[in-house]
Amino acid sequence: MAVQQRRPAAAQPPTEQLPAPAAVTFGRALGRRVMGIGRLVVPFLVLALVWWGIKVAFDLPDNVLVSPTVVATTIWQLVERGILTDFIGLSLRRLGIATVISLLIAVPIGIALGLNRHMATAFEPFFRFFQAVSGIAWLPLAIVWNGFTDRTIVVIIIYTLAVPVIFNTMVGIKTVPQRYADMCRSLGAGTFRVVRDVFLPGSLPSMLVGFRLGIGYGWRALIAGEMLVAQGGMGDLIFQARTGNQTNRIMAGMIVIGTLYLVLDRLILQPFEDATVAHWGVLRA
Amino acid sequence: MTTVTAGGSSAPPAAKGNRWGRRLAALSPVLPFLALLVVWYVVWVVFQPRPAVLPEPRHVLRTATALATEGTLLRNVLESMQRLVLGSIVGILTGVAAGVLAGLNKRVAAFFNPLVVFFSALSGIVWLPLALVWLGIGTAMVTFIIWNSVFFLVFSNTLLGVQLVPVVLENGVRALGAGRWRTIWQVTVPGAMPHIIAGIRAGFGFGWRALIAAELIGATSGLGQMIYSAATFHRSDIIITGAITIGVIGVVMDRWLLAGLERRTIERWGMV
Repeated sequence: MAVQQRRPAAAQPPTEQLPAPAAVTFGRALGRRVMGIGRLVVPFLVLALVWWGIKVAFDLPDNVLVSPTVVATTIWQLVERGILTDFIGLSLRRLGIATVISLLIAVPIGIALGLNRHMATAFEPFFRFFQAVSGIAWLPLAIVWNGFTDRTIVVIIIYTLAVPVIFNTMVGIKTVPQRYADMCRSLGAGTFRVVRDVFLPGSLPSMLVGFRLGIGYGWRALIAGEMLVAQGGMGDLIFQARTGNQTNRIMAGMIVIGTLYLVLDRLILQPFEDATVAHWGVLRA
Repeated sequence: MTTVTAGGSSAPPAAKGNRWGRRLAALSPVLPFLALLVVWYVVWVVFQPRPAVLPEPRHVLRTATALATEGTLLRNVLESMQRLVLGSIVGILTGVAAGVLAGLNKRVAAFFNPLVVFFSALSGIVWLPLALVWLGIGTAMVTFIIWNSVFFLVFSNTLLGVQLVPVVLENGVRALGAGRWRTIWQVTVPGAMPHIIAGIRAGFGFGWRALIAAELIGATSGLGQMIYSAATFHRSDIIITGAITIGVIGVVMDRWLLAGLERRTIERWGMV
């Protein structure tokens, strides 16, 4: 959908026409890999240099900007004391619990609504509306109901994730050609069989789009929720650091949060998405 | 003549039935909202919760009317919208400019790509503590958070869009005698427009959420602050009023403003 950061696999002309000797191929592969890592690392090194340059040139005090080396040491200290692993664990546990619960709720609802055209039309504005009411907007109410607890954060993330997943599952089911289902039915398949073999795979790409968007919003809701609820977690870490004027901790925490999200997105979501979209073809809602 | 009248008289009932059916179908989106309202009311009647936990629907309506008439709601909405518009406009302008400039050169694009991906992952509310240290509580801080949410999404989408414009088209126009800027302005930017618009739409989605979150924590006015201070006084009616307002504004912005814009550009450039 909208959030595309990945470059499409452009049809690249084959670089080698003749089979090269094994050693040469290996060397080239190694070279390409080193180049690839370099292409990834060099921009960040340059950024760190610029950052350090700004710090030195303007002679900024430590509570405004700390130097990259200090941030690196801070990350190391946080790891050494076990704070970082504890807080990452807390954040990921909340996200994990919320993801499982919201998928268990959202996918069946989305399928049920999508199967009936009238229901789908009736419910579309409903979910559009609730998609616009961000989870964070319910945070005050969740605090009134559950207090400053873990449950508040988890409830908010479940909501943030479930709404786009329901919506996109519903829309995805609607875009599956009715003919496929009719064909399966005429061959003797029951409703359960049709849902499992036709509608579920057919709506999976759209469902994943919703899930991806939900995780994007949900991750930020998690951080914001942890800041306010203050029961540990990465959001709490960087927000607490502010009161102590520990800018080094804030920046260290930010780097960890960004890296965590990228790892989550690239190593878990994207391969899954690539596999399913490649398998079932891209459906655009 | 008679046959015509006969045909005419027999047709209306069917057409009428159809029209009623269509009207009913057009009304069907209201039903889920009504159902939710009924469930809410029933829950309220059965469990009789304290108004701090769950107010009666009519109570919320009264609060909403009161807030609207005394001007509190409008003031907070305007405050929030001002921040959103300011942050978004600056974010869109800088994002498109940076994306086009970076996208023109393959090496520059390759250099910026990992950075942009990283900062998109980091965008928005994560910057809040640092923004508070830098700018303190208030409009500047909230605007910075929105700019930050919008900028990186627009930047990354523009970068992608510019890279996807076929070089053949640019060369073709250049071969006809167009200068570098003219080529960029008339080929590259319009060609990348569907991606730019998609980026703006996504940026708005994230920016709108970031705005509420930033106002919850770091502002003295605005919709987010309105609902958060309501939480400290256990005024659920105000929170629900605020949440509904947030939803309505979000839907209006996305459906009427951005979806229309997107449809027009996509139609014009024939992309899916």
